[in-house]
Amino acid sequence: MLGYVWQWVYTSYLRYWLKWLIRQVTGKCELQRICSRYRPGATRTTSAEYSLRSSKSRVLRGALESSQDKLQQCVAEIMKEKNVEPQKDPLFKESLHTCLLQITGYSSLYMSVEDLRKQVFSSENGGHEAMILKLWDLLMPNVKLESRLTKQWGDIGFQGDDPKTDFRGMGMLGLVNLLFFSENYPKEAQHVLSHANHPKLGYSYAIVGINLTEMAYSLLKSGALKAHFYNTVKGAPELQHFHQLYCYLAYEFDKFWLLEEPESIMQFNQYREKFHNVVKTHLQEPDVSLTLTLSSKNERK
Amino acid sequence: MGLLTILTKMKQKERELRLLMLGLDNAGKTTILKKFNGEDVSTISPTLGFNIKTLEHKGFKLNIWDVGGQKSLRSYWRNYFESTDGLVWVVDSADRLRLQDCKDELSALLREERLAGATLLVFANKQDLPGSLSKEAIREALALDELKSHHWCIIGCSAITGENLLAGMDWLLDDIGARIFTAD
Repeated sequence: MLGYVWQWVYTSYLRYWLKWLIRQVTGKCELQRICSRYRPGATRTTSAEYSLRSSKSRVLRGALESSQDKLQQCVAEIMKEKNVEPQKDPLFKESLHTCLLQITGYSSLYMSVEDLRKQVFSSENGGHEAMILKLWDLLMPNVKLESRLTKQWGDIGFQGDDPKTDFRGMGMLGLVNLLFFSENYPKEAQHVLSHANHPKLGYSYAIVGINLTEMAYSLLKSGALKAHFYNTVKGAPELQHFHQLYCYLAYEFDKFWLLEEPESIMQFNQYREKFHNVVKTHLQEPDVSLTLTLSSKNERK
Repeated sequence: MGLLTILTKMKQKERELRLLMLGLDNAGKTTILKKFNGEDVSTISPTLGFNIKTLEHKGFKLNIWDVGGQKSLRSYWRNYFESTDGLVWVVDSADRLRLQDCKDELSALLREERLAGATLLVFANKQDLPGSLSKEAIREALALDELKSHHWCIIGCSAITGENLLAGMDWLLDDIGARIFTAD
């Protein structure tokens, strides 16, 4: 209770008096201090985001909702509002612009991901069909698919004769992620698939993949991926960066599953949750960077 | 809440019921479970293994087990039969091609000794989809009228809109309640 009162007093009054005092002493506003103190990355962008969000000025708060092509203008307005002289702090403009690109980029990434998720896989769509067949060819280069509706889909971990129904909640996002992993890391994807087909520790490759897409999606939605993207992408993160994160999850989950040696696939949700917690713990580290690092054995030339 | 906590709690209180929800893959079992629990049903992915939720309804504490329906998981279904009070069989009413498969799996379940005392509720799900079969058609396809070994009822529903889910659950609880809590 006391903690809440203190928190309220701090954010409503003390923070402003303190900021004002430091501003008088150093001659720099909070955003300037953040930009000069920290290296580019999650700590700097997260601090700038907090500072902008809790600002009393509409100009500063508004910058968080701005579209990307208006960011230069936003930076200029913020500098005017805060009386920042470019000659005295030449690096500020660029730093703040980068922060804003990352912050607004995260929101627009979520919107692009959501659009893709809402696209329903349709057998009437030639593009969708080509993608699902391509996924087969990449994962099973030496086996021909006998027909479009076949039990063979089970070999790459779909549930029934037609993969269509497995995409349900994750839509095309699920398929694009699976395909991205196979296209960009063909050896690793096949390696993971071979583990998934293990007689004892096996799991359904494709639908585990769709479950991991759901994990990536909910992490993005909750804001948990901010630090990761602020650290790994210099400007606005794009769809491909989200797919890269999926590749990390697919590759790491496989390692995790083999290491844990679950009794059977029926324990999946329990281990999924455990893995989810491991990932969330990593995401709380300020210098987090969830990138797929290939072991030298698998390194591509 | 861990599995152990749930199991321990199950023992503690009377008027606790164990419901087992089964059906072919893509029938809508998880969606029904989440809809009951008031969760978002637009982002569901295929179930590997099982989900369990504990809900309160009509003074009962319900432990609902939702087990994945894909073919390779069906051999595990039997691990969840023990002390089941109600079996909820979920049918995708729009999946005409697999109705025979659906009938065969249900018949096999109803021959199971450990499910002999359970009440059967059939959800003819996805009534909101154009081209879905009516509950009468599903009733015929599953030959429910020939079923004498269990109390049963079929309800047409839509897990996405939530239509009739409660009606089905109310019937199930009334039937089980009348059977096992008559001493109260």
